Amino acid sequence: MGLMHKLPPIVDPLPGGKTMIDAVSYIINWARSNSIWPLTYGTSCCAIEMMAAAAPRYDISRFGSEVFRASPRQCDLIILAGTITEKMAGPLKTLYDQMSGPKYVIAMGACTISGGPFYYDNYSVVKGADRILPVDVYIPGCPPRPEALFNGLLMLQEKIRKTESLRNTWHEHEIYTKPATNTWSDAAKAWDALEKIKDQEQAEARAKFKEENPDYQAFKAVRVVAPAFPEVPRKPDRPRGKSNLELWKLIQAKFPGLKLYKKELGDHEVSDTAAVEALGTDYTLDFEVPVDQYVALATFLKQTPDLSLEMLLDLTAVDFTDHFDVVVQLLSVTQGQKVFFRVSLPKKEVSPEEAPTAILASVPTLSGLWPAANWKEREVYDMFGIDFTGHPDMRRLFMEDDFVGYPLRKDFVNPNIIKRPY
Amino acid sequence: MEMVKRPLPAGFQKVSGDDNTEEYFINMGPQHPATHGVLRLVLRLDGETVRECVPHLGYIHRGIEKQAESETYLQYVHLTDRMDYLTSHMNNHSVCMAIEKAVGIGVPDRAEYIRVMVLELNRISSHLMMFGCFGGDLGAQTALLYGFKEREVITDIFDELCGARLTMNYFRPGGVANDIPDTFIARVKKVIVDVERTLEEFDRLITGNVIIQERSRGIGILTREDAIAYGCTGCVLRASGVPYDLRKDDPYSIYDRLDFDVPTKQNGDSFDRYVIHIDEIRQSIRILQQCIEQIPEGPYRSKEKPSYRLPAGSYYAATETAKGIFGTYVVAEKGDKPWRIHSRSPNFANLSPIGKMVKGHMIADVVTVITTLDILIPDIDR
Repeated sequence: MGLMHKLPPIVDPLPGGKTMIDAVSYIINWARSNSIWPLTYGTSCCAIEMMAAAAPRYDISRFGSEVFRASPRQCDLIILAGTITEKMAGPLKTLYDQMSGPKYVIAMGACTISGGPFYYDNYSVVKGADRILPVDVYIPGCPPRPEALFNGLLMLQEKIRKTESLRNTWHEHEIYTKPATNTWSDAAKAWDALEKIKDQEQAEARAKFKEENPDYQAFKAVRVVAPAFPEVPRKPDRPRGKSNLELWKLIQAKFPGLKLYKKELGDHEVSDTAAVEALGTDYTLDFEVPVDQYVALATFLKQTPDLSLEMLLDLTAVDFTDHFDVVVQLLSVTQGQKVFFRVSLPKKEVSPEEAPTAILASVPTLSGLWPAANWKEREVYDMFGIDFTGHPDMRRLFMEDDFVGYPLRKDFVNPNIIKRPY
Repeated sequence: MEMVKRPLPAGFQKVSGDDNTEEYFINMGPQHPATHGVLRLVLRLDGETVRECVPHLGYIHRGIEKQAESETYLQYVHLTDRMDYLTSHMNNHSVCMAIEKAVGIGVPDRAEYIRVMVLELNRISSHLMMFGCFGGDLGAQTALLYGFKEREVITDIFDELCGARLTMNYFRPGGVANDIPDTFIARVKKVIVDVERTLEEFDRLITGNVIIQERSRGIGILTREDAIAYGCTGCVLRASGVPYDLRKDDPYSIYDRLDFDVPTKQNGDSFDRYVIHIDEIRQSIRILQQCIEQIPEGPYRSKEKPSYRLPAGSYYAATETAKGIFGTYVVAEKGDKPWRIHSRSPNFANLSPIGKMVKGHMIADVVTVITTLDILIPDIDR
């Protein structure tokens, strides 16, 4: 539009020139507002509602925006559907820069307005899309319904028709050149003024009503009795495969030194066999293993035909402030039994300054036995800073490589975290 | 002229190989319409053939597990809605089951039936979405419209049931949030008729389509051994010939009272992974029909507390979602907040063999593999 914007200074001084420019502007804006092409960009839940808006029931093509383009170079509008994380902020900024102007941004959903459900106690979510992009229209909701998206789209069309002109190139230079105004306090003041007027009007109306109806008695609310719900005892699980006791005896025969992890029983001293019986079928067998027997036990569990725990369902870790527990869950898809086992890793002694960024424990890898362990161990390394010796590709999985600290540790601090004030 | 040697992208190993062909790297994502979110794949290409594929995750990592540590157990339920938002009822169910297990509260019969009906509706809606995306990603945009058309009817039921179309938060420990409305059963009956009719349409439109079959048969084969070794669950595992379904093999709720089959396929290619979704919709309809006949009168919830304090220990509950096994692992210390909550996400394991599956295929087949794995990135990154 560069050429068009050079027209006003030339044509305006001519007789009737201003009217002509206005007419041309009007036609251009009318056309532009009725053919907004959005980018197929969506990160999470809101994207599904955006797709639903394009689907037959709601049909976004009624508003001229059915042409979803996959390339930012062909788009006028980016609908920010879904949470924006710190890692995604960079690529998103690039996408926006690649779009050709005039370009518009709709912030769809609570996450892009303010961080939404991820505002407090969160280290990775950008708390509001307007921190990185100039947002034109905000649509609240989690996720907003397609009707709400249409409302936002119509609002954007109205905005284009009313504010864009050949003289006012408010979208030409894009990203903010002046600081954002404090819209919140302005809105609050306007709201207060409105409330005062409303209160006054209501008081007058009430007084008038009392004068006219002196016998009127207000309706008294009746208390609704809440339904009484019964206390239902839980029925125990009916697991298939070998029972806990059978499994425990098989494992004990090979590894006699193992101990059951039985926090559920409290401090009572009971023998392991008795404990397995007491815990019942709701309990999945869970035992501790020393570090030196860790891989040997895993191999035994996988390769013994009686156990055949051939699937690694999960591998995770827990930070108990003084030590880590790496918890592994195995499942037998052929027989049905499942077990947990855990290895307790004491934290290394380091100075308090280094502790948040240092790797505090290490354990042999299981990725040779199960390829599934490959990513799971990377996740644990990323979140806890536990090193898996012998792992073929030990990198962070979720966070960027230069991210400082290990988020799921209890002593983790991050400047992005906003603590809940209550 | 001397060649400039660039460093290899992260995750790639150096190979000493053929110097006659020039290999190059290409970035697929994070913004790509066929990656179902913000997955980034770095592909090592030789011509149009994929030699190696390294996925990069974390573009939608929201730190839900860390945030859960400063929220109560009930508040965590709504966060699971936002993990795999296509199966949000099932995620909620898993958390509620873990709490029920720890505190020892049971669920009334009516609530169990309501739960199962809602879960199966959710499964159908997720599979319809998969159907739509499968067609859409392969270039048959019509399929996307067909899938969404039927899905809206189910979404309407959820809308009436709990006021939300996507992030439901309907399950509570000991039951569900509110009783089903009077119109619920009638609407489910209508959905059954509608979906059965649509499945025939789907078969004519997509399943029997020559182009679709050519593009998906023999593409991205996952062998039985690999599926188990990579920890794949759900449709991906069953398409590879392992008939493992938590609803049958470790039955929770009232699934052991209901009569249904677990569809299994043997080839483990993209077409099998697609067909199994359609077969599962048929089984879900069977379950719904039985539930409509059997649903009893009674309370829809057992006594509920404003907040739950779990006894110290670790608890685990898993459900078979539309994608696979969704497990919730809770470590409780004192207090009404969890010490640690971990969600075993099915999509995470289902995506992990992708490097192996796309090796040697064309670049367009990467899209086929991703869409038939039926993954959802926000659930992987959490």
